[in-house]
Amino acid sequence: MVENINNLMVGLHVVFQPYNLMIIAVGLVLGIIVGVLPGLGGANGVAILIPVVVTMQPTSGIILLSMIYWGALYGGSITSILFNIPGEPWAVAATFDGYPMAKKGRPGKALVLSFLAHGVGALFGCIVLTFFSPILAEFALKFGPAEVFAVMMLTFSAFVGLGGKSPLKTVVAILFGFILASVGMDIVSGQLRMTYGTIVLMGGFNFIVAVIGLFGLGEIFLTVEEGLKVEGISTKIGLKDIWEGVKDVIRYPKALITGTLVGVWMGFKPGGATPASFMAYGFTKQSSANAAEFGTGVSPGIIAPEAAAHGAGTSAMIPMITLGIPGSPTMAVIMGGLMIFGLQPGPMLFKENVDFVWGLIASTWAGNIMGFFLVLAFAPIFASVLKVRFAIFMPLIIYVCAIGAYAVNNRVIDIYYMLIFGVLGYLFKKLDYPIAPMVLALVLGDMAESAMRQALIIGHGSPLVFFTLPLALPLMVAAILIFFWPVIAPLKAKMFGKKA
Amino acid sequence: MRRAEIWVSVAFALLGVIVIADSIRLGFMWGMSGPESGFFPFYLGVGVVISSLFVFFNAFTRYRKEGAGKPLMPPGALKPILWVLIPSAAMVVITELVGLHIAAALFLAFYMRVVGKIGWATTLLVGIISPLLLYVTFDKLFLIPLPQGLWGGYLLRF
Repeated sequence: MVENINNLMVGLHVVFQPYNLMIIAVGLVLGIIVGVLPGLGGANGVAILIPVVVTMQPTSGIILLSMIYWGALYGGSITSILFNIPGEPWAVAATFDGYPMAKKGRPGKALVLSFLAHGVGALFGCIVLTFFSPILAEFALKFGPAEVFAVMMLTFSAFVGLGGKSPLKTVVAILFGFILASVGMDIVSGQLRMTYGTIVLMGGFNFIVAVIGLFGLGEIFLTVEEGLKVEGISTKIGLKDIWEGVKDVIRYPKALITGTLVGVWMGFKPGGATPASFMAYGFTKQSSANAAEFGTGVSPGIIAPEAAAHGAGTSAMIPMITLGIPGSPTMAVIMGGLMIFGLQPGPMLFKENVDFVWGLIASTWAGNIMGFFLVLAFAPIFASVLKVRFAIFMPLIIYVCAIGAYAVNNRVIDIYYMLIFGVLGYLFKKLDYPIAPMVLALVLGDMAESAMRQALIIGHGSPLVFFTLPLALPLMVAAILIFFWPVIAPLKAKMFGKKA
Repeated sequence: MRRAEIWVSVAFALLGVIVIADSIRLGFMWGMSGPESGFFPFYLGVGVVISSLFVFFNAFTRYRKEGAGKPLMPPGALKPILWVLIPSAAMVVITELVGLHIAAALFLAFYMRVVGKIGWATTLLVGIISPLLLYVTFDKLFLIPLPQGLWGGYLLRF
């Protein structure tokens, strides 16, 4: 406990260097703009900046990347509330009650409620990040290949069993991601796989390119299809809005607590901010005495999803820095940045790169607090970014995405891949195939495969190795249970139903 | 929608078959030093085939029972999407010739003027300034060279 606080202080010392403070401010502003613009999400904003960041110091570079995420988390809701246009997928739930409240003449209050909820969710996420991740990292040091593979199985099972969408399609999406990851050189034997004699496939698929296509272009196609109509509600945030916002946040502690807890949990177990915000909204609506009023602009309907979105965002860092498993797609791209710097995310990070880890954690505190005041002060100005005509910023977004996709590996073919992934992302969204687990599979593909192969070698080819080691066994059992949960749950209901 | 659902599941199943074929070529059994190269992809392929067949089966029975359902895209949605997709693809093709920045300038101008019906002044301003700005930022400030294409090097000489 005391040690953690000491470490945090050391981290804050890194963060409060003038250069890093500037990085934080620049990152947040860029992030909020990324958040405001539909079609340019957190994952994309980060992906595009990776080539720039490589020229910096690792700590400053990763701080910049994470600031994009915190900024985008705050910024996504601004346009949800004012224009009914979610700037980010995780801000969709904010439109349910945020926009109606704004339309009823209280846009300022709606914004304040959203920002406060974001702030509380973020701070709770930071607390868990600071005090829980060292424990988890210490524990994870005992993991061998079998355990690493088991943790990944558990992660992907969670998408299948608790994801809510069609479990079968989730399985297909995950396996598809793994297949894409295995294209190219086999990391163990050096053989070429799935290239079918072509040279273009030899380099494999880079997940950053896939992210840019799936989340960037896919989103743009969806936006174009629906047509973007900006009906602006102009606003100022007055002292009265702030006062009433604070009062309402205190008046609905249940919405705030539900949102925060759901968020931190979902971020921790690789679900990401988007499902977290929907889940929190659903829970709060169900348990509310006046559920019928939800959707007309009630305060808890804004507080719960917003706290959840940001809670999930911050806690998504925990599995990334302790286990090497990113908790959300954006975190996956940030992890890509870490790996480019040669920092292997995982428990060893806490031993070998103490300054880096604690600098990052401290910057999460600082960034989220600064972000809160930034959006509170300048929300209307950021919102005005959307007044730029869609036909102007949309081609610009595609242009910037193309730069990002190219710069990852300096290959033009990656820009073509980006376009293909864009179409795929659109189809996936339309047909309800989840994108996040697919991206995660693409990110973790090599690691999962080598962990599995090493574990099998240790076990002399017997898959029992995953069930005989004391740490792997409970993880695998949990993974299998969760994986089959969509089948078990109705069965259980049936059995207990008959007995009663 | 359901027809597209069926086609996509068939496509996934086919992909699975292709992957299995290559895994068998590589060997998917236990080799001299542990699992062979095709071991992991083989089971991925098998998994994709099985689960996409399930998806196919579900979609097919629903198709038989309830008909095709809503179309995949609302009517009139395909056109604006193609208006984005084709010019962007054209941008990449032109990139191979004159480099990304010049291609992007053309793309920006085309989209803003022809599709977006935005005034000439704005079109030219954004179409020239933003590629220039990004060129200076990436190629000159951060020294990240972006594709020049065949002739881009001659066209952008500063």
